[in-house]
Amino acid sequence: MDILHTIKSYLSEILDLDREIITEETYLIRDLGVESIDFLELAVALSGAFQIEVDDEEIFLLDLRLHLETAGVTTDKTALLAEKYPFLDADRIAEILKDLDQGPVLKVKDLVSYVTYQCHVQ
Amino acid sequence: MRLRFAGHAALLLGGTCDLALCLADCMMESGLYPRLTFRNKRGLDRIHTHLGKHTDRYETVYLDLNESGSVDAAVSDMGNHVDYWVDFAHGHFESLVGAGNPEKMARYFAENVSARAQALRQAARMFLKNKFGRLVYVSSAAVERANPGQGFYAASKLASEALYRNLGLELARHDITTVSLRLGYVDAGRGKAYLDKVGNIRSETSSRKSLTTPLTTKEVAETILFYLSESATGFNATAVTLDKGRGAAK
Repeated sequence: MDILHTIKSYLSEILDLDREIITEETYLIRDLGVESIDFLELAVALSGAFQIEVDDEEIFLLDLRLHLETAGVTTDKTALLAEKYPFLDADRIAEILKDLDQGPVLKVKDLVSYVTYQCHVQ
Repeated sequence: MRLRFAGHAALLLGGTCDLALCLADCMMESGLYPRLTFRNKRGLDRIHTHLGKHTDRYETVYLDLNESGSVDAAVSDMGNHVDYWVDFAHGHFESLVGAGNPEKMARYFAENVSARAQALRQAARMFLKNKFGRLVYVSSAAVERANPGQGFYAASKLASEALYRNLGLELARHDITTVSLRLGYVDAGRGKAYLDKVGNIRSETSSRKSLTTPLTTKEVAETILFYLSESATGFNATAVTLDKGRGAAK
């Protein structure tokens, strides 16, 4: 099953949007206005479609800023995020750290990474 | 009026109590398929003793809210499809607030509030998948007017109501609704034991007789059935008191 295709289908269905406007680089909150109830519905849908356990906090990076804020000033933020979100690669973590000031950082490609990772782990 | 139902499969948590057994009877009469939960063999035997004649029209399933994964297992047993969820499960703990045993207090809230929150998390995800659900939480009029000694019971009921209320609020757009039913004195279970102890309240002045007659299990079961039906889809994220007006009296 094509993971990106499936995620785009669910997002377009849940948000009642044209699937074509959604790409891997689309921000879920900034661009699509996804709300917490949409996240819940998406988590349930992905869990059913891929038969994986979905941790809402992890897949949607809900505690990302909390992790960074509570980390000590000497903490290596890249290493911290790599530990908390093992499904994100180093390039994506670097990108997130640069993008924090612009608003919520979650992108469609993060969901793809999470599902891909979980499919291999479980 | 004949009640119409959009679904078929029902899960009755705390399925061994008198009210659940009576509701199961009413459900079968209405063409629904109840599955009653039990926690031990005594409970299982009780269900079969009361409903045994209806073989093939109901089922039983082991479910203990305090066991992690218990709800998932029960729901999975039902093919992950439950249309109606009626929650009778609630522990009994009577003590003055100032006299409560600290360990018992902590355990009571863990078992009756925290465990229910976990169960509802699982239920929410299941109902969301199915895009339909009617949930009734059987609460108590004690949340409005408790007797001395009912503080922990009332607090845990009220907390549970809040969980159900939010579930209904959050999932309303998916045709999933929740109603909490606050029962007054019922002539069954703990209510009956209480009434037997203090003397039947029917013996009060005859002018108040109609107000103070306890609810029968049949009255409660039929009311729950109404809230599960398509006639009651407008009720959501709310609590309704079923006490024959007793709580409104001076």
